Amino acid sequence: MLDVTKSGLGTDARARSRLVSLCVNGEWHEVAVKPRVTLVEAIREAIGLTGTKAGCESGTCGACTVLLDGRPVLACITLAVECDGAQVRTVEGLADGEKLSALQEAFLDQGALQCGFCTPGMLMSATALLERSSQPTREEINKALEGNLCRCTGYNAIVDAVLQASDQGVKPVMK
Amino acid sequence: MKPGAPEVHPTHPKVTDPYSNIGGKSETEWGDVERGFAESDYVREDRFESHLRTHGYLEPHVTLAHWEGDKLNVWTSSMGAFVKRAKLARTLDLPYSAVRIHKTYVGGTFGGKIDLYSHEYCAARLSMITGRPVRIVASREEIFSAFRHGQPLAMEIKTGVRKDGTIVAQRIRVINNSGGFRGSGVVVIFLAWGFTMIPYRIPNLRYEGFSVYTNHPVRAPQRGHGAPQIRFAIESQLDRIAEDLGIDPITIRLRNARLPGERLPNGDNVHNAGLVECIRIAAGKSGFLEKYGRDRRSPPQGTIRRGIGIGVSAYMGGTLIYPNGSAVIVKMNDDGSAIVLTGAIDIGQGAETVISQIVAEELAIGMDDVKIISSDTDATPQDIGAWISGMTYVTGNAARQAAGNARDKLIAVASERLGVPVGDLAAKDKVVYSTRDPSARMTYREVIAASVATRRGDTVIGEGYWRTMRDEPNHPSLATTKGRWTENYAFSAQVAEVEVDIETGEARLVKALTVHDCGFPVNPALVKGQIDGQISMALGHAFMEEVMTKDGYTLNPNWLDYRMPTIHNMAVSEDADVITEQYRVGQPYRTKEVGEGLVSGILAAMANAVYDATGVRLNSTPFSAEKILYGLKALEFEQKRSQPKETVGA
Repeated sequence: MLDVTKSGLGTDARARSRLVSLCVNGEWHEVAVKPRVTLVEAIREAIGLTGTKAGCESGTCGACTVLLDGRPVLACITLAVECDGAQVRTVEGLADGEKLSALQEAFLDQGALQCGFCTPGMLMSATALLERSSQPTREEINKALEGNLCRCTGYNAIVDAVLQASDQGVKPVMK
Repeated sequence: MKPGAPEVHPTHPKVTDPYSNIGGKSETEWGDVERGFAESDYVREDRFESHLRTHGYLEPHVTLAHWEGDKLNVWTSSMGAFVKRAKLARTLDLPYSAVRIHKTYVGGTFGGKIDLYSHEYCAARLSMITGRPVRIVASREEIFSAFRHGQPLAMEIKTGVRKDGTIVAQRIRVINNSGGFRGSGVVVIFLAWGFTMIPYRIPNLRYEGFSVYTNHPVRAPQRGHGAPQIRFAIESQLDRIAEDLGIDPITIRLRNARLPGERLPNGDNVHNAGLVECIRIAAGKSGFLEKYGRDRRSPPQGTIRRGIGIGVSAYMGGTLIYPNGSAVIVKMNDDGSAIVLTGAIDIGQGAETVISQIVAEELAIGMDDVKIISSDTDATPQDIGAWISGMTYVTGNAARQAAGNARDKLIAVASERLGVPVGDLAAKDKVVYSTRDPSARMTYREVIAASVATRRGDTVIGEGYWRTMRDEPNHPSLATTKGRWTENYAFSAQVAEVEVDIETGEARLVKALTVHDCGFPVNPALVKGQIDGQISMALGHAFMEEVMTKDGYTLNPNWLDYRMPTIHNMAVSEDADVITEQYRVGQPYRTKEVGEGLVSGILAAMANAVYDATGVRLNSTPFSAEKILYGLKALEFEQKRSQPKETVGA
């Protein structure tokens, strides 16, 4: 899948690498990427932030969701060269140092994750939702998270976590 | 399997004449089945089929292998480090000590990462040849096309009952389309027998299971491993029998359900089986009998029909298979905190959480005082792995014993120092104190320092071991089913409420109720998570998912064409525990399975609920819109044909 080598990302030897500037979680990175390299490859392999997951590399599972200039995008079907100069937020950017975001706390509390593989994408989709709508309805939550597959939890705990994080009367389970 | 059919493996020993391509057979019998049918008031025969589904773990298969001259280091997405080491070492002809499986966090498995896969072998072999680390990641398309999926079964069931619905005799024939190699195809036909015999009394049974080689990719175990298929079949037929006899679905189940203390045909005991209570509570809580048959009796306006159905299942936990047992080591730190070494692997089920809880409970310390080191074949003791529904029971009891062992050592040292008999000492909040005189007390820190000072430097380390069926040498025979299995059986009754659009045939699960006897929940939130996840997976099984193949190729190798439930498809999922066991510090406990059996009763319940909504009885999964619509049309046709023609203008 990710046939990225250390000598330069991508296998197409003749294609010229291009320098791309990405501001990931507030920190600027310059990475040399071949045109075919995807954003998730650049984030994981070149920048070294492995919180973002690649589950299907075809834009169907949502595990690779990151925020690009504030909007959720599927990083496995977004080319890195398209993102030059962009602001990227990944799951690593949600916590403030050791302090988890309210949404992350709610995920922990509600048991909204099991294996955790979909969780970074879920968190990013839900973060984008909460930033544009502070108290989303159940329907809005479903709509915002419809592109994120979760095979473990059955989703109900995830919906509850978003409701809890947005102070909509869902009581903490564990605290 | 047809006699004389071209053989997939011409050199394979002939398991069964006259059939061709039989990779393995499970066969057992008790009582006198023919006499049982003769004595029955009513006998019914049905054939059921299940379809090919896949696990759908989000994390692809991935393996990193690094050969360092005399040591093979492997990081791989698996369900048990020790079973993986055994298979890899044997395949590579290396001593176990030369293979180290390191801990990884695993992004979902559901049965699909038990077997040793070719990419794991290839990564290891390539690293041994090149001396360089080798990493292989499967693409999703590869997983769909070339990796292992579940096991579709065909099931023929003949059941004889008395007028009151009591089962007298059952003959069951299960055929597994096992793909091109044996894999676990022979296991699933054995297990389908197990899931047949646990929940209900069957005085006379004849069971035959065939695992058949076919020109398909080899199969893997999948959550439930035979239970969803066979319970769907048995529970569907039981509903039909009940209806034929004029009995309701609850009564017929209560008549046949195992009672506490019953001995199973394999010699095992169901102990405090909570099945009867599960069925009663499921019926009561869902208002089953008030709802059952409502929309068929008086169809509402519009095109939506609602139906309710019930399914029962049972599951064995922690049964014997390599590595059979788990060990745990608890090391006390000087400050009274503890480090736990366990081979248990966390695949999202919460193994590390539960083991930490147990250690904290036994040692009377906080969860924050427990640090866990897990799933590393060089650094941690052997463990059964996360694939036979026994980690909380087997590894958990080993952890309990290890922590208890450490606690006993702490108390023994404190007893010497305080001059208080061991029996008068108790532990709380990292302190050992006298129950008669609480002022006689020592902190764990002081006790451990005392141990080091007075016992030739002995620090405090606890060991624990656990194994199911301690006195049984082996697991039961797959071929004959003979042999004891486990002391640990979980039971459940699940109710599904579905809505069917009779115009389009589309059905969906609206509400699920799971009432289960898991012994007791060590961690209720984790148990709830397992239930919800299984409801979601089962509704995908029922209504959405199918791996389509042609000539052995997968036609829908991606999640656009293989539809897994999204957030829109999930139903309301309610649950209730039937508590049959308890936890007491220092005592062995019996938790029961909760992580895979609950995909089964609910699948059957959905089949029965679709019937209740529409009158359409489906003998094969999935319950697609096409099949339901076809069934509705067939019913309409039947009705028209059987009704006398109305005279125009009468």
